Amino acid sequence: MSSTVVETTPKVEPQVEKNYLNADHTIKSWLLTTDHKRIAVLYLISVTVMFFFGSVAAALIRYELTAPRGLLLSSEAFNKTFSAHGVFMVFFFLVLAIPATLGNFLVPIQIGARDLAFPRLNLLSWYLYTIAAVLVLISMFMGGVDAGWTFYTPLSSTYSNTQITLCLVGIFISGFSSIATGVNFVATIHKMRAPGMTWFKLPLMIWSTYATSVIVLLGTPVVAITLFLVVVERAFGFGIFSPELGGDPVLFQHLFWFYSHPAVYIMILPAMGIISELITCFSRREIFGYKFVAFSSMAIAGIGFLVWGHHMFISSQSVYQGIIFSLISFIVAVPSAVKVFNWSLTLMKGSVHFSTPMIYALGFLGLFVIGGLTGLYLASVDTDVHLTGTYFIVAHFHYVMVGGTIMAFLGGIHFWWPKMFGRMYSEFWGKLSAIIVFVGFNFTFFPQFILGYLGMPRRYHLYYFAPEWQVYHIMSTLGSSILGIGFVLPAIYLTHSLVKGRKAEANPWDARGLEWEYTSSPPITENFAKTPVFRGKVYDYDAVADAAKYEGEIEPVIEGKGRTNV
Amino acid sequence: MSDHTHHHDDEHDPVYFQYEQIDQQQETYVLGMWSFLVTEVLFFGALFMLYIIYRWKFQDDFYLVHEQLNWKLGGLNTAVLLFSSFMVAAAVHYAQKKRKTQQLICLGITLLCAFMFMMVKTKEYGDKWSHHLIPNKAFSYGEHHGGGGELGGQGEHAAVLPNGGKITLASGATNMGGEGASHDEFQYHPGNGTIAPQPREKPAFLKFLDGVFAPLDMPEKEQHGSPEHARLFLSLYFLMTGLHGVHVLVGIIVISALMILTIKKAPTITDYIPTEMVGLYWHFVDLVWIFLYPLFYLIPK
Amino acid sequence: MATAQHDHSHSHHIIPMPVLIGNLVLLGFLMGATIWAAQSLPAMLHSSGLPDAQISLIMNIVALTIAFLKAGFVIAIFMGVKYTTKLVKLYAIGGFVWFCLMFIMFADYATRPMEPVHGWEPEIPSALPRNTSEIPD
Ligand SMILES: [Cu+2]
Repeated sequence: MSSTVVETTPKVEPQVEKNYLNADHTIKSWLLTTDHKRIAVLYLISVTVMFFFGSVAAALIRYELTAPRGLLLSSEAFNKTFSAHGVFMVFFFLVLAIPATLGNFLVPIQIGARDLAFPRLNLLSWYLYTIAAVLVLISMFMGGVDAGWTFYTPLSSTYSNTQITLCLVGIFISGFSSIATGVNFVATIHKMRAPGMTWFKLPLMIWSTYATSVIVLLGTPVVAITLFLVVVERAFGFGIFSPELGGDPVLFQHLFWFYSHPAVYIMILPAMGIISELITCFSRREIFGYKFVAFSSMAIAGIGFLVWGHHMFISSQSVYQGIIFSLISFIVAVPSAVKVFNWSLTLMKGSVHFSTPMIYALGFLGLFVIGGLTGLYLASVDTDVHLTGTYFIVAHFHYVMVGGTIMAFLGGIHFWWPKMFGRMYSEFWGKLSAIIVFVGFNFTFFPQFILGYLGMPRRYHLYYFAPEWQVYHIMSTLGSSILGIGFVLPAIYLTHSLVKGRKAEANPWDARGLEWEYTSSPPITENFAKTPVFRGKVYDYDAVADAAKYEGEIEPVIEGKGRTNV
Repeated sequence: MSDHTHHHDDEHDPVYFQYEQIDQQQETYVLGMWSFLVTEVLFFGALFMLYIIYRWKFQDDFYLVHEQLNWKLGGLNTAVLLFSSFMVAAAVHYAQKKRKTQQLICLGITLLCAFMFMMVKTKEYGDKWSHHLIPNKAFSYGEHHGGGGELGGQGEHAAVLPNGGKITLASGATNMGGEGASHDEFQYHPGNGTIAPQPREKPAFLKFLDGVFAPLDMPEKEQHGSPEHARLFLSLYFLMTGLHGVHVLVGIIVISALMILTIKKAPTITDYIPTEMVGLYWHFVDLVWIFLYPLFYLIPK
Repeated sequence: MATAQHDHSHSHHIIPMPVLIGNLVLLGFLMGATIWAAQSLPAMLHSSGLPDAQISLIMNIVALTIAFLKAGFVIAIFMGVKYTTKLVKLYAIGGFVWFCLMFIMFADYATRPMEPVHGWEPEIPSALPRNTSEIPD
């Protein structure tokens, strides 16, 4: 390992200098901050809280399912539990976990800017998120919702008498939080790149964040207004999707999935960006086929909007439309596969270092491939008719969402933790918990593929009609307990590292990129002491890490073109 | 909150901390506003999509129900918004030229137009309420006839029967479940030919608006078409014009804020960009109405 | 600041007042046209003996064409898209293009019957009428 650490000598106490964390210590300086790094920390706390609530609901579901007649919950309570799990995890964790925490932290630093384009808008987005989360939590504690996270009409609009209105208002507000972040990222990535930081020198994390933001801008308003229509229908008795008025409940599904299929790419694209960073860093190798990986993000963002109907094959949608959507769904698998091939080829011939983040990244590769390939069974109309609405689909999207997004999120947190907080965590515990997560995850969700294939319907808590399924359910519940330990451990040792952890160097992984080579750990409030001018190659692992390649006088300002304004 | 630390070497206005140059800052704000407008386009786009699908399915009934809307008032609002759009463009023009007085006058006129729009909208909504056209659960279309309109068919399209508001359409649209909760609500007695309640008595401020807009008033029309599809149409009408109205209200707030900040020489107003952004938003509000007007008020037979 | 020495920088472009006024007049004219078309055109088309369905189609096309023209002039002149950077043009058009993707739904609605559902119960108390105590042993 050709670790050439720049300027800071290891093991020597780094100079106590101002950084964004110790710039000010008052509560007010945190709650009114416009610093993107501090907002990232606020978001990290908020999404962790929501993840906790979602996990509690998940644990209840798994416990309930260990017996064919249930153990704990009534049918009503079970419906509310899985709805709460879905709402918390999808709308308040997965769609924003990576962009709002790591994205917020990294986007300006990786492109060489002092902050996002609109810092106050960024703070507003955190407040909107918090308000939305509080509203949804209130709705859950006031009785919960029982229509699942998809809120299909007419169940949600006419039949359910639970707290759907309040919950949907919360989700509606959280949509605006996403939009604010999306607007911010788009403007920042277009207009605030450092001199020399052209599109093809950007880290792949930026490409995928950009693609994600575009999907957020194009999709989120549609789902916001669709859910709002359900609110209007419930609150004022307007009828938009009411079948008795000639309205079409399936139209709700069309509009809902117009966003919610692209939303799975909102969840997975940032994860892919992280994986690209991790794989290159710990293979010590330039990524194979940079442009393919970059453009596949954009392709996913585009094609992802054309496949929503694969969620509706059995919804009375016309067969012709089903065939079209089935076909395009197969096509959208191609850019994802391109990424997987490129990561694999990067690993090949690389000198692979098994640090904690890399174990998460490798776990991601395996689980995402399984998740993606089982998606093809569901994209094909005929197999989908058998598998949809069963545990097969539950297993499939957990492989993508947990095995993909959460693995990458944890990997990214472990990777950038030294940069964010300036402390190293215990590598032993890190590796151990990464392996626990991987093992626990597979134990939890692999049996569900079998269960689904055998016919266990999702959203049921009784299977007395097929008691032979119990063994799979018990396996799954055991696995989820292991998985739970795998999630609790990082919470403990990462928090512990904040106090007791060894001080981190500026570039502990010997990685490449502005955030490693040109900022301290943690960075100062302005990110850079001096505006960087990028002169090198991206992912240049053949050269030694070298801050000098960013330095030099700022290029002469030619008529308002100091920065790359494309 | 916004530090103006990075002053630049030329004669330009101070740039915010995160920017290098004023050009970059201005272009970023404009791009940010446009990307926000993209979300607004899709926000209303979803509603337009709903409208298009239902209009395509129920064109005949939508035509019959749209006669309940007052196209003259809608037309007035179109003119008001077009003119205000011009005014806000002129405000940007003067802001760029740093002619503050003219800029404020233009913004003031825009604000007046916005209030005018809301007055017309209030008058329209008041009429709908008075004519029992709010599409809630108590909706009882076809049972209320004001203006001394006669019962009976109009052309070959509709025939209103006096028993229970049943409507038969020559076009073949079905009517099911029509005799709903509305019967209890209005003590309607099927068979004896009693015509249901008169228009609701309006509160004073609505009567005042009636007086103001008297020249554009249109007599209450007979209610033709399937009550279900009427409820669908009116739900869409209130949703889309309502959300548009909310946007107008937000516009009133931001235009007022911009004017106050400009007059007070607030540090956030350093150049024409805030005016430009408010302008872009206001043009978008106008754009939505440009499509709403023909789609709701001018449906062809 | 608007001392336009940065001529290449598009964001500084000031739209001349006569252009703005001309655009307003044009928009007013188009508004008149759309009302006139809605009020008088059907009768004219009727007298020419076209079938109702075709008249309806023509009227819809006329109304939407005028609406798009109006929108186009507002976007191009009032919103200044004509004078702005390529990037802003891309975003200005992008939203409308993406809205058009939703028309894929017509592949569904054009190929299946969408009929009102008879006998739909307006309201029942809960989503869960099931009685879970009736589980067989
Ligand atoms: Cu999907």
